[in-house]
Amino acid sequence: MARMKLEDLRRKREELKARSKETNYIKVGMSTCGLAAGAQETYDIFKEEIERLGLDIKLKKCGCLGMCFAEPLVEVALEGLPTVIYGKVDVATAHRIVDEHICSKRIVNDHVYELHIKE
Amino acid sequence: MLKPFEKIVFIKDTNAVKADLTRHYAGIFSKYVRPLIEDRKVFVVQAADLGIYGEGLVIKIWPNNIYYANVKEEDIAEIVERSIVGDEVVDRLAFSPDAKQVRVVLRNCGVIDPEEIDEYLARDGYAAVEKVLSSMSPEDVIEELKKSGLRGRGGGGFPTWMKWNFARNVQSDQKYIICNADEGDPGAYMDRSVLEGDPHSVIEGMIVGGYAIGASKGYFYIRAEYPLAIERVQRAIDQAYEYGLLGEDILGSGFSFDLEIRLGAGAFVCGEETALIASIEGKRGTPRPRPPYPSIKGLWGKPTVINNVETLANVPVILSRGGDWFSTIGTETSKGTKVFALTGKVRNSGLIEVPMGTTLREIVMKVGGGVVGGKKIKAVQTGGPSGGVIPENLLDTPVDYENLRRLGSIMGSGGMIVMNEEDCMVDIAKFYLKFCVDESCGKCAPCRIGGYQLLGLLEKITMGEGEEEDLEKISLICQAMQKASLCGLGQTAPNPVISTMRYFREEYEEHVKEKMCRSGKCKRLIRYEIIQEKCVRCGMCYINCPVEAITGSKAKGFVIQQDKCVKCGKCYEVCKFGAILIGSKEPVEHRI
Repeated sequence: MARMKLEDLRRKREELKARSKETNYIKVGMSTCGLAAGAQETYDIFKEEIERLGLDIKLKKCGCLGMCFAEPLVEVALEGLPTVIYGKVDVATAHRIVDEHICSKRIVNDHVYELHIKE
Repeated sequence: MLKPFEKIVFIKDTNAVKADLTRHYAGIFSKYVRPLIEDRKVFVVQAADLGIYGEGLVIKIWPNNIYYANVKEEDIAEIVERSIVGDEVVDRLAFSPDAKQVRVVLRNCGVIDPEEIDEYLARDGYAAVEKVLSSMSPEDVIEELKKSGLRGRGGGGFPTWMKWNFARNVQSDQKYIICNADEGDPGAYMDRSVLEGDPHSVIEGMIVGGYAIGASKGYFYIRAEYPLAIERVQRAIDQAYEYGLLGEDILGSGFSFDLEIRLGAGAFVCGEETALIASIEGKRGTPRPRPPYPSIKGLWGKPTVINNVETLANVPVILSRGGDWFSTIGTETSKGTKVFALTGKVRNSGLIEVPMGTTLREIVMKVGGGVVGGKKIKAVQTGGPSGGVIPENLLDTPVDYENLRRLGSIMGSGGMIVMNEEDCMVDIAKFYLKFCVDESCGKCAPCRIGGYQLLGLLEKITMGEGEEEDLEKISLICQAMQKASLCGLGQTAPNPVISTMRYFREEYEEHVKEKMCRSGKCKRLIRYEIIQEKCVRCGMCYINCPVEAITGSKAKGFVIQQDKCVKCGKCYEVCKFGAILIGSKEPVEHRI
C-alpha cells in the first residue's frame, strides 16, 4: 500500500467502516493474560474445527477485554443468536462451543460472561 | 439448517458466594417452559456471570434484553407468562444493570485485532491525526488538551497540556516525545494491555503530541519483559509507516515524525523520567536532580516530553471528540477515566476502566464482584510501592488525584490490590518496601541506607523481636527518606509504611507488644491450636497436615504438636467447624 494523503485516508476509513459490519465471527482474546491461560490452544481448536467442518465463520484475534479472571475469553457472534462472551474457554469448552453454539444454535451453559460498559 | 430459538433466557444466582443456586433455578424455570423449548421458542442458559452482583436471582431475556433482579421462585410463573409467552415487562421486577465502567482508553481493547491497522481505521482510527494535521495549529491542539483537563496517568497527575506547552515554548532545533511504557508496579498491567490490545491509539497520541510540541522524533520506552507488547507495537509502527502515517510528510501535510522502540532492561527506577532518559542515551539508568526538567533539557539535552501510555491513548479521543466532551467525565479536578488493574482478594480480577470519582467501594463490589469467598474487606492498596493503603471505612471516597493523596496514598499508574482480613498490614508494608529496596539505584544515601534500615526494622518486628522504640525509629527514617531522597522512588518508598502505620497502628503494636499477628501471616508470631470444645473429631486436619504434626484419633481427639508444626495453615483452611485457633506465639492458656 502506497503512502496515503489526507483524502486517501478518509476514503479508506469509510470503505473499511462499511465492510466492518460482520456478523459471523469468533474472536479470541490473545493478549498476555489470555495466552497465559491457554488462548493459543483455544484458537487452534477453533481454527481446526472451522476448517474441518467447512464453517462460514471468520476467526479473529483481539486484545484484552478486561475480564482477566475468566480468560481465555472468546466472543461469538452468529446470526440469529445474541453475541456472547464466553469465559474460561479451555479445549473442551471450545469443542462445546462449536458443537452446541455454532452447529446446534444453543448457547453453552456455565461459560457466559457479561460485561456492562458505556462508551 | 436449524431454526434459531426465538427467545433466550440467561439465568444467574448473583448472591452466590459459596453455594451457587443457578442450576437449581434454571431447572425450575425450564420446567415451566418445557413445551416451548421443544418448539424452539425459548432456550434457557445458565450464565457464569451477568456482571451483576448481590441482586439475588437475575434473569435476562433476549432479544428484548429485559433484566429481572431479586426474582423469587414464585415470580417465575408470571415472568414466563408475560415476558416469554407474551412480550410484556413485569415492572415490579425489572432491573437495569448499572454500567459502572466507561471505556475511553480501552475503547478498542478486546474489540479490534491489534495486528491489523485497518481494524483500527474502521473504529475512527487516525481521525485525530487527520483532523489535527488538516485543520489545527499546534497551539489549538494544546488549547484542546487544556480544555479537556487531562492529567498524566503515570501517577503524578501533572496537567498534560502544561507539559506540552513548556516544551512547545522552548526554542530548539530538535525536540523529542517519549512514551513511558516502563510499567513496573507489582500487580499492575494496564499499559501492557493497552499496547497489546490497541497499539495504534498510543502511536496516534504520539504523532499528535509530536506535532503539538514541534518534535520530529519519538521513542517508545518499553520494558523488555513485555515481548508481546514490543512485537505488536513494532508491527503497528511498520504498518503506520507503510500507510504514510509516520515518516516524511505525513498525509501530505508537510509534518514529519519518526518513531522507534527502545527497550528497558527491567530496572524499576527507569520509569522515573530522568533515569529513563539516561537509559535511552545508553547510560546507566539513574536519576539526576531536577530542574532542569526534561521539557526544557531532556534527551540528548533537547526539550523532551515524556508521557505515560494511558495518557497518550487518551489523546486521540480528546482531539476527535473534543476537550469539552472529555471534561464532562470525572470530577472537578480530575477529568476523564482511569484504568485500574484490579487484583488481590477480589472475585473478578482484571482490567477495568471507570470514570474519575467512582468510589473504591463501587469498584470492588460492583465491578469486581466483591471479595473472594465472601470474606470481609480490610483495605485497598493503590499506587503500588509508591502508594498506600486505604482502610475499609474510607472506601466510599471518590477516586481522584487529590482524594487519594489526602488519604496518604496516590493514584499511581493504576494498580489496585484488594486486601481482606487474611492480610497482615505489617507484612504488606514489608513487601512493598522490600521491592523498593531491591530496586533502589543506590545513588543517594537516604534511599539506599534509609530503605535498608527501615526494612531491617520491619523484618525485626515480623520476626517477633520488635521493641517499642522501633516504631518511633520507623517514623523518623520514613520522614528522612521522603524529604531527602533524590527521586520519586526514594521519596515515595516509605509511603506503604507510613499509611499502614497511620490506619493500622494497632497491628504494629500487637506485633511489637503482644508478639502476635492477627492474620496469621507472620509465621514466627503464631501458633495453631485445636479448640477441643468446638472440635467434632472429623479428622480433616489430621489427614491434611503435610508434616504429620497432628496426632490423635477420632476416638481420642486431635492435638497439634507444636515442635513439628510448620505453620502452613492447612488445618485452619480445611476445618469446617472453626475449631482451629490462630493464637500468639505463647500457648493459649498462658495468655489468659
